[in-house]
Amino acid sequence: MKQVGRRVTGLTNTQLAAGKGTFVNDVVLPDMAFLAFLRSPYAHARIRSVDISAAMARPGVIKVLTGEDAYRDLRPIPEAWNTREIGAKGVLWYPIVKDRVRYVGEVVAAVVAEDRWTAAAALDDIEVDYEELPVVTDPIKAMEPGADLVEPAWGDNLLITRDWIAGDVDAALAGADRVVTGTVRSNRITGVSIEGRGCVAQWDAFARKLTFWESTQNPHPLRSFLAETLNMSENSIHVIQPHVGGGFGLKQPPFQEEPVVAHAAMVTGRPVKWIEERAENFMATGHSRDTRFEYTVGFNADGRVHGLRIKVIADVGAPTALLGWGQSFVTGYSLPGGYDIPDTNVQLYVVVTNKCPWNAYRGFGKDAQSFVMDRIMDHVARETGLDRTAIRYANFIRPDDFPHSQPSGAILDSGNYQGALDKLLKKIDYAGFRALQAQAAAEGRRIGLGLGQELTPEGCAMPGALMISAYDGATVRVAPSGEVTILTGVTSPGCGNETAFAQIAADVLGCKLETIRVIQGDTELCPYGLGNYSSRGTMYGGSATQLAAQDLRNKLAEVAASMLEAAPADLEAADGTFFVQGSPDRSVAFNAVVNQVYRHTFGKHAEGVEPGLESTRYFRMGNIYHQPETQGRFSNYPAWPFGSSAVVVEVDPQTGMVKVLEYTLVEDAGTVINPLLVDANLHGAITQGIGSAMYENISYDENGQLQTATLMDYTIPTAIEMPMFSIEHQETPSPFTPLGMKGAGESGLGSTLGALCGAIEDAFPELDLRITDLPLTPNRVWQSLRTAPRKDGSGFGPSPSATGAARPAVAGAVEAIR
Amino acid sequence: MITAELQFHRPGSVAEALELLARHGDDAKILGGGMSLVPTMTLGLARPEIVISLNHITELRVIAEDAAAGTLRIGGTARHNDVIASPLVARHAPLLADAARHIGDMQVRNRGTIGGSVAHADPAADYLPALVALDASVVVRSTRGERVIPAAEFFIDVMATALAPDELIAEIRVPSQGTARGAYRRLTRVEGSFAIVNAAALVRPAGSGASVVAIGGVAGAPVAVDASTAVSAGLTGSALAAFEDAVRAACPEPFEDLNGDAVYRREMAVIHARRALLAAAGRAAAGVTV
Amino acid sequence: MQTTIKLTVNGRARTVEVDSRMILADMLRDQLRLTGTHIGCGTGNCGACTVMLDGRTVKSCCVLAADADGADVLTVEGLYTSPDDLHPIQQAFIANQGLQCGYCTPGMILSAKQLLDANPDPTEDEIRHGISGNLCRCTGYHFIVESIQDAARVLRGEASAPSASITGLPASPATDVAG
Ligand SMILES: Cc1cc2nc3c(=O)[nH]c(=O)nc-3n(C[C@H](O)[C@H](O)[C@H](O)COP(=O)(O)OP(=O)(O)OC[C@H]3O[C@@H](n4cnc5c(N)ncnc54)[C@H](O)[C@@H]3O)c2cc1C
Ligand code: FES
Ligand code: FES
Repeated sequence: MKQVGRRVTGLTNTQLAAGKGTFVNDVVLPDMAFLAFLRSPYAHARIRSVDISAAMARPGVIKVLTGEDAYRDLRPIPEAWNTREIGAKGVLWYPIVKDRVRYVGEVVAAVVAEDRWTAAAALDDIEVDYEELPVVTDPIKAMEPGADLVEPAWGDNLLITRDWIAGDVDAALAGADRVVTGTVRSNRITGVSIEGRGCVAQWDAFARKLTFWESTQNPHPLRSFLAETLNMSENSIHVIQPHVGGGFGLKQPPFQEEPVVAHAAMVTGRPVKWIEERAENFMATGHSRDTRFEYTVGFNADGRVHGLRIKVIADVGAPTALLGWGQSFVTGYSLPGGYDIPDTNVQLYVVVTNKCPWNAYRGFGKDAQSFVMDRIMDHVARETGLDRTAIRYANFIRPDDFPHSQPSGAILDSGNYQGALDKLLKKIDYAGFRALQAQAAAEGRRIGLGLGQELTPEGCAMPGALMISAYDGATVRVAPSGEVTILTGVTSPGCGNETAFAQIAADVLGCKLETIRVIQGDTELCPYGLGNYSSRGTMYGGSATQLAAQDLRNKLAEVAASMLEAAPADLEAADGTFFVQGSPDRSVAFNAVVNQVYRHTFGKHAEGVEPGLESTRYFRMGNIYHQPETQGRFSNYPAWPFGSSAVVVEVDPQTGMVKVLEYTLVEDAGTVINPLLVDANLHGAITQGIGSAMYENISYDENGQLQTATLMDYTIPTAIEMPMFSIEHQETPSPFTPLGMKGAGESGLGSTLGALCGAIEDAFPELDLRITDLPLTPNRVWQSLRTAPRKDGSGFGPSPSATGAARPAVAGAVEAIR
Repeated sequence: MITAELQFHRPGSVAEALELLARHGDDAKILGGGMSLVPTMTLGLARPEIVISLNHITELRVIAEDAAAGTLRIGGTARHNDVIASPLVARHAPLLADAARHIGDMQVRNRGTIGGSVAHADPAADYLPALVALDASVVVRSTRGERVIPAAEFFIDVMATALAPDELIAEIRVPSQGTARGAYRRLTRVEGSFAIVNAAALVRPAGSGASVVAIGGVAGAPVAVDASTAVSAGLTGSALAAFEDAVRAACPEPFEDLNGDAVYRREMAVIHARRALLAAAGRAAAGVTV
Repeated sequence: MQTTIKLTVNGRARTVEVDSRMILADMLRDQLRLTGTHIGCGTGNCGACTVMLDGRTVKSCCVLAADADGADVLTVEGLYTSPDDLHPIQQAFIANQGLQCGYCTPGMILSAKQLLDANPDPTEDEIRHGISGNLCRCTGYHFIVESIQDAARVLRGEASAPSASITGLPASPATDVAG
């Protein structure tokens, strides 16, 4: 049976459903000590002195590490994105700060103690003398001349600016029928994996070997980062990734905590464990998406856009070695999304502030790009009076216009955006919605429909970046008993790529799926690889698996052909049997063929093949251009999935409460290896998108104090807020991967944001309602409703008939009011 | 993680608990369901030296009726789900169960106690406006004796109550709703979070006392607004408008936080007070027993 | 302060010495090595630490271990005796892909059990309310709701095994993660 395309359940399900996974906090070593971090309580301050004497005196405290130690014994943390390569400013970031803290949560000291309680309690014993410095929290003010500086040595607060120009925007705008402007803002958010970060380090001074367990997405790159910061050889470090309780990008190294825990193990001679508390997760693991967009768009009466200028101002927090700020770059880089707007100018301003740095989070800037483009398309629809779908159809890149070049130089590989939207409209009976809306209105309910389009470039490769590249490897092994093992450097923090690898290998080898085992997340077992991010797992790990499995298949086919007295090319393999095409009774068991290779190496059938059944192969992606000098362009994303979604919401006009009633997504991430697991990922992505648009928000006060450091304040959606999802696939294969897959890990998220805004607006056809800012809190929606002018000029706010005020007071209807 | 050392006691009787409280007073904290206290300790925001658990005193978890007095007596450690499931509560104070059903989530309702919620006195707690609307009393005990404090006086400000350090909440005493009908409404961002505002309405039939709406989440303690006039006028346009103005006036300076600014909170107080009132009146009119 | 408690965990009588600061979740994980109970927040918000205490689900990060003296505790490990006899709810989660990273899963499964114990035929809305104390960041809850619906059918005796809208795989093999 062909496995690719089947809805196979995850290979780890049984273990995890039994509670028998091994997460990092489950790693317990003899004589293990515990580490806790002292973090800056100030957003910006000079450290005058650190006094650790009281902490050291506390019984049970083994060691206290400060910036002095870090600057003496450790090296700066290497950058995950090489800032110089793309003309950005960087900083030297040490694992522990010595002189100046730049955000609440930056590491100031670490305590190692016999138990967790003592380590945490001793943090209070450390006396740090801070001198508070001016705090930068507003990115707009931060760009003004004379603003206080996050990094005084920089001279300004701009990490990078870019001006991407295609065509002649001024001329296009001048020639357009109409020109409008607008400002929209996406909010500051974070990923909230239910398991936080954590690591365990063990140092064997005799073998000179560091073993490091971490809930990380990228074991091999982490090994390199650790080696560099600890000034050790890479082959002295063994990184093991236990089960990971969600990553979503935020478990990508290099963090301050990792080398500190490793160093602590080395200097104390004890295994050391650190498990992040939820509050630390909110203040130090990383934020994203906090972006303001100012746009000017020209268009003709037919809805065709002529000329677009977008200013992108991203508040990326303090500069560190984390790669998160790169999300702002990707936002600008992938504009104007899935639309063909020849005259476009994208102006990117990446602003640093005294807030937690951005770290990678699902969406990686493409979410913000999709958001602003949806808002612009809805704006144009409003101005032209045309349907929102008409504007999108009028401006989509056409299916025959691929590869398509964007202003940034990005090369979109393939796509069929019209097709996806067609499918979506059919699936939701778009035309029928108005009747439903009218019916709801008759019952006094306000429902609206919104549309979102997302363009989600995947498989990123950044020049000079060790961790971020467009290749990966896999080893496929067949044991003498015929079972198959796949080892890969691609990891799975719960996204299910291991299952996809097994499916791919089963098809290539013709073996039974249940004979395959997948091993990931161990730098000493698995071939070198870059781990999990940018939806690359199945694209690269799967393609490498395919290549390696093909090697073995070729070898086995040769042996089987000899056994069956047929030509290798005439053989097929499936479900553990090799057989001659067209005559399935001329067959030999997979295991019998394997047996020939191992036990009859010098016999008749195997004598022509190299012994052993193991192959390691690397897959190198096409459509990457890193040499602008010779290639004339810079393009770092090779695969461009697209999605089109529709959401129906109900809005309570009196409270601004929004309830998502229905969510439909048509997703095109190329060939789907496992629709079940892709759907599972899409459900999660949609939920994170809805959560971030409606319920979640990271907030700082003007002193740079984090106001949302618990799950009580940062509210992620529960089952009650979510609907069942309706998902359909369109498969426009990537021309660059052997099976045509494009990566589906982030897909589903980007289109939620604009769709929700549009749906709320759509629920009030009588209003000129403009939803511009996220999140869509009831307070904000209510405020927008109240101040929205009625189109008929009769005043402001929803027409009374819809607010419920005109309803009979004590009639039977009262119970319907909730 | 709770870092401060603490002494833990699990008395088996109220008397024993009161002794401990008398001895330790200010240094001690009573532990009810722990749904508020334990996280607060974990976050380092409370550091009691002594914790006295009430979870091993069976007599404190009893829900009983005092038929003669026409009151319902809910033990201080009755879990939220005990209240929701109790036939006695359903008979005498269904409004209370209505409010309790909205608290947090299943696990919180399984463990959290009415005494803990009342002692904790979060201004947005679901019980608070219901207790005020129902004219309930908080029965507190210490080795010094017993005090019966009307709910409207018990709640003083944000997490501040009339409870003395050596007292525990032994019982919540609720006059039977009788023929009065109640309804509870609340606004939250996600389910399982505390309310932004909430409102409990009790509509009494003509001649049997005042109708009232108590509103939480806007001020340090629940705000009660008389609705009798509006109810007797049939909740028609102008009477309802006057009631709404009274609600507005009763919330001069509502809280402001990330979930709602003052203007919004005030208007939401109005909307939820009205919705609760209309729903309660609807039930009264329909003769619904809930 | 150390204190000794006696309790029943997964049917087995245990006597444990605990620090009075210790939460029940830590006691289960660290002293009894029942690591299926996870910790995601420590403040009662995420539900990853959900266990049953005297037949009711609680968040074990909000219960002091010392307070569990005399209690009857059920953790996810108490739902089965071997990989071949997992609880029907677990089987339904496996067959319907009601999990991804698996971190929220043990707590989610116990909440599902609490729900189905009391309400064998819940509506979708009742299921969603029943698990609202358990945050899942991976699944969007869709397949979790379906898993619980499927488990309910099995527990009501309407189906012998999870029917699952998908072509299932045998329970093994597992992905190996050394560690
Ligand atoms: C995730 C989550 C969501 C929640 N959502 C809501 C919600 O939506 N609505 C809501 O109303 N509440 C909510 N709560 C709070 C919940 O209702 C708590 O149960 C309640 O506030 C405290 O009750 P407790 O029994 O757990 O008290 P504890 O946490 O044990 O104690 C709280 C305080 O009361 C004191 N105390 C406890 N019992 C007594 C007593 N008998 N006499 C004197 N003092 C006592 C304690 O010393 C402590 O100061 C939520 C809690 C959590 C964790
Ligand atoms: S760890 Fe207990 S609720 Fe999150
Ligand atoms: S499966 Fe990952 S949090 Fe639920």
